[in-house]
Amino acid sequence: MTRLPANAAEVIDRARPLTFRLDGRLLQAFAGDTVGSAMAAGGVTITGRSFKYHRPRGLFCMTGACANCLVTVDGVPNVRACLEPVRDRMDVRRQNAWPSADFDVLRIFDWCSFALPAGFYYKAFHRPRFVWPLVEPVIRRVAGLGRVPRDVPASHGEKIHLHPDVLVVGGGRSGLQAAIAAARTRKRTVLLEARPHLGGRLRTTNPAAVMALEREAREAGVDLRLSTFAFGVFEDLLVAAAAPDQLLRIRPVELVVATGVMDQPAVFPDNDLPGIMLAEGVDRLVRLYGVLPGRRVVVASYGEQGDRTASLLREAGAEVTVIHPPADSVQRAIGGRRIQGVVANDRTLPCDLLVIGGITAPVTGLLAQAGPGATAIGSVAAEPPASRGWEFRAEPGKQFTCLCMDVTVKEMKQAIDEGFDSIELLKRYTTLSMGPCQGKACLRASIQVTARLTEKSVQETGTTTARPPFAPVALGILAAGHLVPRKETAIHDRHVEAGAEFMWAGDWRRPHHYQDPKLECQAVHERVALIDVSSLGKFRIQGPDAVTFLERLYPSKIADLKVGRIRYGAMLNDQGVILDDGTICRLGDREFFVTTTTGGTAGMEQWIKWWLADWGLDVQVMNVSGGYAAINLAGPRSRDAMQRLAAFDVSATALPYLSSARGELAGVPVLVLRIGFVGELSYEIHAPSAYGVHLWDQLMEAGHDLGIAAFGLEAQRILRLEKQHLIVGQDTDALSTPYAAGLPWMVKLDKPDFLGRRSLVDLQEHGPLERLVGFTVERGQPPPEGAAVVEADRPVGRVCSSRWSDVQHAGVGMAWVPSGWAEDGRPLEIVYDGHRATARIVLKPFYDPEGKRLRS
Amino acid sequence: MALLVPCPNCGTREVSEFSYGGESSKRPAPDAELPQLARYLFFKQNVAGPQVEWWYHRDGCQRWFLARRDTRTNEVEESYWPHERAQRQR
Repeated sequence: MTRLPANAAEVIDRARPLTFRLDGRLLQAFAGDTVGSAMAAGGVTITGRSFKYHRPRGLFCMTGACANCLVTVDGVPNVRACLEPVRDRMDVRRQNAWPSADFDVLRIFDWCSFALPAGFYYKAFHRPRFVWPLVEPVIRRVAGLGRVPRDVPASHGEKIHLHPDVLVVGGGRSGLQAAIAAARTRKRTVLLEARPHLGGRLRTTNPAAVMALEREAREAGVDLRLSTFAFGVFEDLLVAAAAPDQLLRIRPVELVVATGVMDQPAVFPDNDLPGIMLAEGVDRLVRLYGVLPGRRVVVASYGEQGDRTASLLREAGAEVTVIHPPADSVQRAIGGRRIQGVVANDRTLPCDLLVIGGITAPVTGLLAQAGPGATAIGSVAAEPPASRGWEFRAEPGKQFTCLCMDVTVKEMKQAIDEGFDSIELLKRYTTLSMGPCQGKACLRASIQVTARLTEKSVQETGTTTARPPFAPVALGILAAGHLVPRKETAIHDRHVEAGAEFMWAGDWRRPHHYQDPKLECQAVHERVALIDVSSLGKFRIQGPDAVTFLERLYPSKIADLKVGRIRYGAMLNDQGVILDDGTICRLGDREFFVTTTTGGTAGMEQWIKWWLADWGLDVQVMNVSGGYAAINLAGPRSRDAMQRLAAFDVSATALPYLSSARGELAGVPVLVLRIGFVGELSYEIHAPSAYGVHLWDQLMEAGHDLGIAAFGLEAQRILRLEKQHLIVGQDTDALSTPYAAGLPWMVKLDKPDFLGRRSLVDLQEHGPLERLVGFTVERGQPPPEGAAVVEADRPVGRVCSSRWSDVQHAGVGMAWVPSGWAEDGRPLEIVYDGHRATARIVLKPFYDPEGKRLRS
Repeated sequence: MALLVPCPNCGTREVSEFSYGGESSKRPAPDAELPQLARYLFFKQNVAGPQVEWWYHRDGCQRWFLARRDTRTNEVEESYWPHERAQRQR
């Protein structure tokens, strides 16, 4: 590792040496080095292989724009080596090469490039048709950059929202000054700098000035965010930015863009050889990292920047020849795995580094995305200084306009000859400027080449539309902070202790079973059992217009519901389709307690509030779902268990089916609803969440000698299916009406109006096309959910629920069939996975069809 | 969509906090003819320009309100409560 003597601008800490591995080989570095600078210091000239032709590439821009130095770091692909700080013992691998970046057999594509014309993908492998399946695996392996890691743990980045008064993008001189000025007028100011340190170009020329600006910015209270790059500007000035493991969504009042200018390459044959670098990158290597990237240097100086870099290199001890185009223009570069010389003015100048300096272009991508909402300051806003004309000349050999995607002048010419002669079409056809740099290092040259080839002016040629992302963003960053809610009921710990297997039910974690679901069903049918139903949606609806409101919201009658009584309630939309179902319990004259399904809670809250807002009735709707724990105690012995705990009468006469009671149970206030989804005598007990565990424990204890057991969702699903109680969303879809779903008794068309009424009036006249019916299969397992009901091998219906029922000793299920078929005993032919089953329609509940047990 | 939506209760917030209720339309009378019902259910004005629409501040005050938004620019000209409809919609 050779370094220049220390200088004031450097960012490395020579007292802290580090080591890391590059393709297995040990490399030395200092703290503060980037992988790129350490590679340069270690004499590594090839940083990777190019996208298409697998040509050797070296450090080029050293500013994080181009794709030349993409490497895999600790398994993460496509990391920009020139920005990535070296960490001790990190594992770095060069990409897109086999067997190695130094010797890559896939270079064969370069020598066979005549067979890879522009628009290759659109032209090749179409015919004969059997070719594509054969070549696809090969192309998939060879194409693209990097490999998606399989064994690297997913990063869980965080999403951060910022709402500053002023957001400055770019931490160079202009950006820092703007941020300081804004912060001093007491505006909350955030500044984003893509690199790990501030200063931009000033950092290499006047580090003391950068330190002073940084200090001033900190004192003024600027929120400085380094290694953070803005990659898109969206509607209403939303700026998206990425930092290591962070996605920032920034909504500033004012957006100031100070992204400066970027050095641009020149176009000549073999202009991509390792050892050809842009001037700013050379400045950074020399000044910030103390690395001299070449000893015998030719500087092609197209402007001031070139001359400055030349003198910097001379000071650093290099032997420098400066050529001044257009007088001595570069005709071509010579070399193989590294540049060996430059031909200019028909003279060959031997060298190990060719610096292209003085051609610049403003970095306008973000500005173009932002439109008139942003303010540009500094050099990005200024006219670029005139460069002493780089002129395109057609020469033999590969002249690259787009390094990221390996697009040459020859391919551009081909594409133009094929008619793709506008810059936007050319971009899409050749993939020019569509690589990681997104045009930062190729658009200017490409526009010039296009103008020349189409014999138009640069103005007439125009430019391409700037779109996000402006810089490469890892998919993991875009997914940052995407949290999935996980809800647990107040009684959750008890289920864990009981060894329950959990399942997702919407956002909830609910017990699927505690033991064999068959035994749980047995407990419900024969003894007493309990299930935690706290996840149900629960609403208090009250106010002077509560009855009017619910009459319009539900197809059922509400006005005649007596205080303390309960009614099944499904909510419909104006198409008459069932949206959700639950129960309606009248607590008082103007007060109701309404439940919805677990999954429907949020949607139904919106639905109920929407109609309330539209109708403007005097009603209050309160979602009390989280405030109440709920337990369903079911089974023939459930009354016995209740009696032991209740301070109120729970006898069949005092608390019959479809009635409710309020009182104390096990010493806590409860609302008890006598309803039964699972088909046995049952009580749905609602209590404040804080008492959930207490109530669960007390019920368990009170039912101990009765043989009480907890049951989970699987048992509940079997039990409700034995009763043909439907589950909205499982047994119904976006077309299911009460008439089709077998709930016609629920619809009261004699009411003046309710949601869905007009559609149902018509539907009742014509009848539904399909019907939801029960079916049973006597032998063997029932067909799975989703199986097709067929007639002469044509699908005419589908199975929506099916389970084995121990009490029926048969497979039971529900299916949609043509409405004419809905008669008891009609056979159904059901097909699934190559199997065939014959079932029989059963219109009444399989279990306790008269509902005696339910009402007992 | 990244626009900002002004909630009459909470102020201007990110669109991701809201649920969209679609363009405001008039529910037909209970005895309406079927074509009228079908128009209400299945046909939208889909205007290119200012449109009055429903918004619900799901992650905020959880209230429904109306907003007049230009569908071409996403600029929200005004937002108000349903009971103010008469004044606003002339």
